[in-house]
Amino acid sequence: MKGMAHGSAKQERRLDAVMSYALLTLSALFALLPVAWMLSTSLKTEAEALSLPVRWIPKQATLQAYGEMWTLKPFGLYFWNSIVVSGVTALLSTAVGALAGYGFSRFRFRLRTTLMAGFLATQMISGVLVIGPYFQILAAVDLYNTLTGLIIAYVTICLPFAAWMSKGYFDSIPKELDEAGLVDGASRLQIFLRIIMPIAVPGTVTTLLFAFLLAWQDLLWALCLISIDEKRTVTLGVAFTVGEFIIKWPMLTAASLIGSLPTIILYLFLQRFYVEGLARGAVKG
Amino acid sequence: MRSGRTWHDRHLGYLFVLPATLMLVAVLIFPAFLTLKFSVTPEGGSGWNLTLIHYQNAFRDPVLLQTFKNTFSFVAWSLVGHFVLGLGLAMALNQALPGQTFFRLVALIPWTIPDVVAGIIFRWFLNPVSGAMNPLIRTFIPSFPADFSWLSNPTLAFPSVIFANVWRGYPLVMVMLLAGLMAIPRELYEAAEVDGAGRLKQFFHVTLPGLSTIILIALALDMVWEFRRFALVLTMTGGGPGTLTEVLSTLVYKTYFQFFTFEYASAMAILMSVVLFILSLPYIILVGRER
Repeated sequence: MKGMAHGSAKQERRLDAVMSYALLTLSALFALLPVAWMLSTSLKTEAEALSLPVRWIPKQATLQAYGEMWTLKPFGLYFWNSIVVSGVTALLSTAVGALAGYGFSRFRFRLRTTLMAGFLATQMISGVLVIGPYFQILAAVDLYNTLTGLIIAYVTICLPFAAWMSKGYFDSIPKELDEAGLVDGASRLQIFLRIIMPIAVPGTVTTLLFAFLLAWQDLLWALCLISIDEKRTVTLGVAFTVGEFIIKWPMLTAASLIGSLPTIILYLFLQRFYVEGLARGAVKG
Repeated sequence: MRSGRTWHDRHLGYLFVLPATLMLVAVLIFPAFLTLKFSVTPEGGSGWNLTLIHYQNAFRDPVLLQTFKNTFSFVAWSLVGHFVLGLGLAMALNQALPGQTFFRLVALIPWTIPDVVAGIIFRWFLNPVSGAMNPLIRTFIPSFPADFSWLSNPTLAFPSVIFANVWRGYPLVMVMLLAGLMAIPRELYEAAEVDGAGRLKQFFHVTLPGLSTIILIALALDMVWEFRRFALVLTMTGGGPGTLTEVLSTLVYKTYFQFFTFEYASAMAILMSVVLFILSLPYIILVGRER
C-alpha cells in the first residue's frame, strides 16, 4: 500500500516534469520567435526581406543593415544623445535620490511618512498628465529641444524609486555607524558621504542602472520634448523610422536590436533586484 | 549634545529630502496642477475665467468613450494573459528541473525589449506581405490567406495589439510569482500529501493561499502599467485603423501634440488620471500594509 502510494507520487512527479518541459519549450518558442524574426530580418538584404516565400534563415546573411544604420540615418548621433541623457539622468537621480533615501532612513521628522507616501504616489502618475504643461514650461525657458529639458524630466521620474530603493539599502546598514561618526565630530553630511555611501555601493549601482534603463527606454517624453533630428534619442529615432513611408526593415530591425542591447543585457543581470524592489515600493514603470 | 541630536532628527531630515521634493513638485506636481487648470479654461482663454465645457464635451465624445473602453479591455485581457502565462511558467520553473535557468532567462527576454521595439517587432511579424505570422499559420492551416492583414482588420487589430502586450508583459508577473512560489515551504506540500490531498487540492489549499499577497501586488502593479502603456501601441498601430486600437495615453498625446487642442487634451488627461489614481490605490495600500 505504502509502496503503491510512493509509486504513484513518483509517476505524478514524472508527469509534472514532462508537462513542465512541454510548457517551457512552447513558451520559449513564444518568447523567442518574434526576436528571432527581428534578428533574421536584420541579417537580410532589403530585397530578401521583401521577397517571397518568407525565409527564417537568410539565404545570404549580411551585416549590411548594421552598417547602413550609421550612414543612411544618424544613429550614431541618436546613440550618443541617448547615452548622454541616460548617463546624466542615472548619476543625478541616484545622487539626489540617495540624499532623500538617507533622510527617510535616518531621521524621524514630522512629514516623513506623508512625504514617503507622496513619493510612492508620484510613481503612479502617467507622463501624459503633466507632459502638456511641462512642454510649455520648457518652451518658455528655452529648454524645448534640448537634452537638458529631457534630463530634468527623467531625473524627476527616477527620483521616487531611487529614494525608495536607497532607503531600503540604508535601512540595512546599522545606525551605530552613524553614531560613531557623530561621536567623532563628523557632520551628518560627512557621515552620509564618507561612511554610509561607500558601504551602499552595490545598492547604488543597481539604482544607477535602473535609472539609466528608464531614460533609455522612454518614448513619450522624448517624443513631446524633442522635435529636431540632432537631438533625437535612439527610441525616438527608431519610432520615427517606423513612421516613414517606405520602411527599410533590415536597417530598422538592426537599429532596434542594437538599441535594445543595453536593456536586454542589464535587465537579465538585474532581474532579482528588480523583483525585490517591486515588493518594497521601488517601482519603475 | 542630547538636545542637539533631537533638533537634528527633527529638522535635518528635511534638508536631505528637500532637493528631491522640490524637483518632484516642479516637474510633476506643479505641471499636474496646470493641467487641471487648463482643463477648466476656455479654449484659447487665460486667467481665471473657468468653464466645465471640456468635461461636458468629453462625456459626449464617442472617440474618448470608445478609447476608455479599449483601454479597459486592453488592461483586463493583458492582465489575464500575464497571469495565466506567468503562473503556469512560474509553477513549471519552480520544479527545479535541469535546464530551468536557461528556460527562465529565455522566458524573460520579452521583458527586456523596450516597448518601442516590441511594437516594431510585432508590426513587422504581422506584416501581411513579408511578415512571419501568415507563413507560420499556413504551415499548420494551408488554407489560411497568405496576405491576411492583421493590423488593418477591424476585428483582429485590437486583439493583435493585446497579444503583443501579453508577450511583452508576462515575464515580470512570472518572476514575481516565481519568487513567491519559492518562498512557500516544501513541508506544507509534504504535509498536504500525507493528508491525502491531490495535486488540485494542493494547488488550491497550499499554492494559491501562499501566493495570494504576491499575486495581488503583481496584478495591482501590472494594472497601473498596462493602463499607462504608450509606446507599444504607438509604434505597432499608431492607434489605427481609425481609432480602433487607440488607448488613453496615445489619444491624450495626439490631442495635445497633433490636434493641438490643449485644453481639451488636459481634460482628458485629468479624467484618465482620476481613473489611474483609483487603479493604483490597491498597490499603494498593499505596499503600505506590508511594511
